[in-house]
Amino acid sequence: MALLQISEPGQSTKPHEHRFAIGIDLGTTNSLVATVRSGQADTLADENDRHILPSVVQYKEGSVLVGQSAKDNQVGDTQNTISSIKRLMGRGVNELKILGDNLPYSFAQTDSAVPRINTVAGEKSAVEISADILKVLKERGEKTLGDKLEGAVITVPAYFDDAQRQATKDAARLADINVLRLLNEPTAAAVAYGLDSGAEGVIAVYDLGGGTFDISIMQLKQGVFEVLSTGGDSALGGDDFDHAIAEWVIEQAGVNANDLSASTLRLILQESCAAKEKLSENDQAEITVKFSDSQTWFGNLTSDIFNELVDPLIKKTLMSCRRALRDAEIEKDQVMDVVMVGGSTRALRVRELVGEFFNAEPRVNIDPDRVVAIGAAIQANALAGNDPDGNLLLMDVLPLSLGIETMGGLAEKIIQRNTPIPVSRAQDFTTYKDGQTAMAVHIVQGERELVDDCRSLARFELRGFPPHVAGAARIRVTFQVDADGLLSVSAKEENSGVEASVEVKPSYGLQDSEIEAMLKASMDFAGEDKDARSLREQQVEADRVLEAIDSALQDDGNEMLSTEEKESIMKARGELEISRHQAKDTQELKAAMANLEKASASYVAKRMNASVQKTMAGHKVEEFNND
Amino acid sequence: MSDSIFKQNYFEIFSLEVSTNPDLSLLNQNNRELQQLVHPDKFANSSESDKREAMQKTSLINQAYNTIKDPVLRLQYMLSLKGVDMNAETDTSMDGLFLMEQMELREEIADVRSQSDPLDVLDTISSDLKNKSSDLIAEFDQYYQSDALDKSREVVRKLQFINKAQREVNELSEQLEDELL
Repeated sequence: MALLQISEPGQSTKPHEHRFAIGIDLGTTNSLVATVRSGQADTLADENDRHILPSVVQYKEGSVLVGQSAKDNQVGDTQNTISSIKRLMGRGVNELKILGDNLPYSFAQTDSAVPRINTVAGEKSAVEISADILKVLKERGEKTLGDKLEGAVITVPAYFDDAQRQATKDAARLADINVLRLLNEPTAAAVAYGLDSGAEGVIAVYDLGGGTFDISIMQLKQGVFEVLSTGGDSALGGDDFDHAIAEWVIEQAGVNANDLSASTLRLILQESCAAKEKLSENDQAEITVKFSDSQTWFGNLTSDIFNELVDPLIKKTLMSCRRALRDAEIEKDQVMDVVMVGGSTRALRVRELVGEFFNAEPRVNIDPDRVVAIGAAIQANALAGNDPDGNLLLMDVLPLSLGIETMGGLAEKIIQRNTPIPVSRAQDFTTYKDGQTAMAVHIVQGERELVDDCRSLARFELRGFPPHVAGAARIRVTFQVDADGLLSVSAKEENSGVEASVEVKPSYGLQDSEIEAMLKASMDFAGEDKDARSLREQQVEADRVLEAIDSALQDDGNEMLSTEEKESIMKARGELEISRHQAKDTQELKAAMANLEKASASYVAKRMNASVQKTMAGHKVEEFNND
Repeated sequence: MSDSIFKQNYFEIFSLEVSTNPDLSLLNQNNRELQQLVHPDKFANSSESDKREAMQKTSLINQAYNTIKDPVLRLQYMLSLKGVDMNAETDTSMDGLFLMEQMELREEIADVRSQSDPLDVLDTISSDLKNKSSDLIAEFDQYYQSDALDKSREVVRKLQFINKAQREVNELSEQLEDELL
């Protein structure tokens, strides 16, 4: 008799099968994809041997260009060529102002809370534009590996709040990518370095990208990367260096910025960026800008002037470093290593000031543009189950405090920033008026005292609990944050058992229905083999059904079912599982699903009744007729 | 061990004795070892219910870890093990002398900007508060050992005051540093 096959958690049931997984660094300026092959992690190149994919998307009628070609067309087609879209991820219409006035796009007038950019291909949200970038990276991965992908680890700045993380996950979903994990960029960088050197101790990861700055203080011990604290600024990066230089150029040229067209501004920015890059190897850079046919400006940017322009920006990053050290309860001299990440750390002035601050020579061995993608690939490989002996484990923290609004517009923190995740926390609240039967719950994220200064994540209402005198109701609000840093919240009135819950779909994220509509549109658009696609859809549906029945059986299968009932469900379940993997057409798979639904129909009915009884216990029917 | 963590008290989860002064390096080490077994990343390819269980276990471990690591939370938790609920507002009376000291301290903090070197003054206040805090923890230990729970509880309330003051000092230091930069 064959022994039951038992597989340890995290291990593949078929030990010789390699599962392909990729790591994606979805950056503000540039994106990369990497994977582990024969034990080596490396970034993947396109057919022209370019590893870096500029995060630029150009929309044309009926087609989309992503990457270098889109970037090359940027000056000629300002309105339809979108760059630095990551800055808008998870942002609301009302936050566009905060991001500055130099966004050269036309925004659609819309009722939606999510800003949409007008292009020749229609209105596009940040999630859709990011999905277009992700699709190219995913295709590159599949083409190079010649196989279907198990999934991907996608990196996000450590400073991203819930809305921004959710938006990133939505974009991945839209690009049909199975997200194994959202990983903080600096953590990924530490993984890339840590495994190479095997060192133990405290490291600081200084990550200055195009549009974001992150500092993370981490501890490496016995294969565990523990994030002690994170900090940073989600709106500060090398792009700001370019803007500082551009402002200097405009001032030196003696022109009025308001008189310049969007494409001239863009041209100045490109020249500024080129000058900045040149200064990483030279001590001066020449800049030429043609303002009009009659006016061309020529200037020389020395490293002294450059340092003066960017020093205030770099000092801002050092302030965040100081704070992160304090949060981690680490003194500067305990920091063993400083890892530099992000193209902007190529600027010599950045290396100099960071080195002075930590009194350590910063690490620059791994290409700072690729290091995040490489770390993500290593983690993806481990999560896909290719590293059963490895004990790589990333313990992460919540980047920003979570709380709810209380009387007077104050934010009461329920989970403090830098708390290890996953975490769940419950807090009790009460009513403030006699006879109150409902309570609004407003969830916010941020460090400030006032709700208005924090990021609003979601609102929901708990209603229908029996009236009490003020202060007698006990409302327990439970926050659950998962390993990706994503939040779900539930509230329960303890005396009556009335419950309400939300997956936090932030006001600035997308509704599921919106995502589905987009998925549909992209499917219609892509003229792929319809049958194969619909079989895949049915397989996904079958997985969902299997998971649902497993989870229900685990919850109350033994209590609610007789042995025969359970056996007949298990039989149908087993047939569906086989069909899920072997069925060649959708009809066969649909039949197996229908069969399982039939077998479990009475069980489902029982569960429904039980849950309705539980909710209605202690209530009069009239209470449920309100609203 | 990991199956029964839902029935263990927070100290037991990490194989520690219930103590006002636990071995924090052992806590860290055992935390890492536990997380290697239960963290959701170890179940990335498992069923939804396994994933959920991993998340619940890790959440509990993190909660326990935070509680033991933070002195006030640790002491509150120790009281709850003996059935004392710190959050129940049964009495609000407090040692008058202690309250007096606290008011003076608050005035001193509020006044710090007018000092010639405010950051130095804040550093001194901060280290005084740390000493005060460890004195109180030692005091708690004595009462707790002899089951003087009301006294223990009062010590924890004092510690909460001290903690709040410490947070204010830290925040003010940050503000001043920002202004000086």
